Amino acid sequence: MQRRTRLVVITFLAPAVLLYASFIVYPFVSSIRYSLYNYDGVGPLTDFVGFKNFSYILFSHAFAGQFWRAVWHNFYFFILSMALTTVFGLGLAYLLVRVRESISRWFQVIYFVPMVVPPVVVAYLWAMYLEPNDGAIPTILQDLHLYKLNIPFLGSEVWALPTIAVITAWAGMGLPILIFVAALIGVPNEVIEAAKADGASQFRTFVSVIFPIIKPTFLTITTLNFVGAFGAFDYIYIMEGTQAGPNYATDVIGTLFYRTAFGGFGTTAQGVGLATALAVLGFVIVMAVSAILVLLQKRASADLF
Amino acid sequence: MQAKRPVISYLLLILCALVIVLPLLDLVSLSFKDLPGIVGHPFSLPEKIYWSNYATAWSDGRLGRFLINTAIVSVVSVAVIILFSSMAAYAIARFQFIGNQLIYLGFLAGLALPIQMIAVPLFILMRQLNLLDNLISVILVYSASGMSFSVFLLVNFIRSVPKDIEDSALIDGAGYFHVFYRIILPLIRPSLTTVALLNFVSAWNGLFFPLVLLSNPDHMTVAVGVLSFIGQYATQWNLLLPSLVIVMLPTLFVFIFASRQFIRNMTAGAVKL
Repeated sequence: MQRRTRLVVITFLAPAVLLYASFIVYPFVSSIRYSLYNYDGVGPLTDFVGFKNFSYILFSHAFAGQFWRAVWHNFYFFILSMALTTVFGLGLAYLLVRVRESISRWFQVIYFVPMVVPPVVVAYLWAMYLEPNDGAIPTILQDLHLYKLNIPFLGSEVWALPTIAVITAWAGMGLPILIFVAALIGVPNEVIEAAKADGASQFRTFVSVIFPIIKPTFLTITTLNFVGAFGAFDYIYIMEGTQAGPNYATDVIGTLFYRTAFGGFGTTAQGVGLATALAVLGFVIVMAVSAILVLLQKRASADLF
Repeated sequence: MQAKRPVISYLLLILCALVIVLPLLDLVSLSFKDLPGIVGHPFSLPEKIYWSNYATAWSDGRLGRFLINTAIVSVVSVAVIILFSSMAAYAIARFQFIGNQLIYLGFLAGLALPIQMIAVPLFILMRQLNLLDNLISVILVYSASGMSFSVFLLVNFIRSVPKDIEDSALIDGAGYFHVFYRIILPLIRPSLTTVALLNFVSAWNGLFFPLVLLSNPDHMTVAVGVLSFIGQYATQWNLLLPSLVIVMLPTLFVFIFASRQFIRNMTAGAVKL
């Protein structure tokens, strides 16, 4: 490469690379370094402890229970999000490509709206509706005499996390719908006609013909949902506080990490070394699963051709 | 793929649209009611409109200050992301150099990084740089973390476009900066709309980093500011709801303004996921 061209490339790359390296890559590497120390965040790193923070998180009597409970909650949240995304995201996208395109676009705009509403607003809107004494939803359920369904949604250890998953889905369905619509538009009409000509039912056509074609997209959505579920924080923090109540029933890695790093109500152990070790374990889970999903996605797209 | 009986499709689509729109409209309607009206009668239009809710919320909630701070953070972050990521994407997509793929993959890996998880080293770094409790710290974090998706999107977009025009411009003696400014930037404008919208919304709505990096109420963004306001006025829904409405309006306006083009770009394969 000519010297002049090299200079141009460096000039174009430098701002983005410097910014990204300083505030993403460097902190990421620092996380790994801090996780090997007993460190309270002030002064030099001196007390090297090797993998002690990790073994404390993974095996200790005091902390391991909290960690594995949080991991399970993240995983449970992921499963709930996937179920909701499959039914509503894929379902609505399927309906959207069957109606007139100009009308379909308006629906897509509407479904995307909650994605631009701040989580603070979404959280308080639904907290207000779910308020056990005189919130709209309990009132409606009372009026319909559906007493069995009138549970303390956000205050119940069993139902708090599913309720938050539904609220998250309500707010975040716009993007998966758009991505599924884009994929479904790409399904060639001939294969659907061919299936119909062979006498396949609509459901059968979807399962055996359409789904295999959009499988790579489905796996992309799975990856997005996984990263999203393991990054869950905002709604739980706003609606259930730092202690992720009731009785830690909504505690995820995000909230456990927040308490371990910055303290707050419900904190049992705190420290920079411990918090970063927790974060590193979080990276390992998310990056490993994402890598597998991306590989599966590459294979699924390769299978199509 | 037109349906034979689109009526059922339309009914289901309208039903879901109502589930999305009604709560948001109800929020606006409730925000004009007095306290007994809010608590006792959800989903009913206000009998008397209490504009005073907004006046009180505005003055008590210090919303003006929060909104200005949030606007600074969002606008500056978006500007930095658009400029830096389009430059980098041009270099990655159009030049062969050692480390090209490595740099691209480095940006891509950020897509799978739950950014909150590096909050502790970022906090320590910002303290060392003396930027704690300064809006610049949040701007730096948002700009850097927005780079991944933006570079990914723009590199793919630039690669999908033929090089002919650029090549002939270069042969005519134009410099690379000229090519970037006159040919590449206009070309990638639809993608830049998508990048700008998504990053503006996530910067405006962001809760975690302002919560961690800012502490002085004068430097707070709306998301955290409203949260502390709520802490003080927990059950005063007549003050809370107007502030929630004010907080959601800016991103809503930006979205409505850009929505048609945004939706078209997203479904036209501008994003290959």
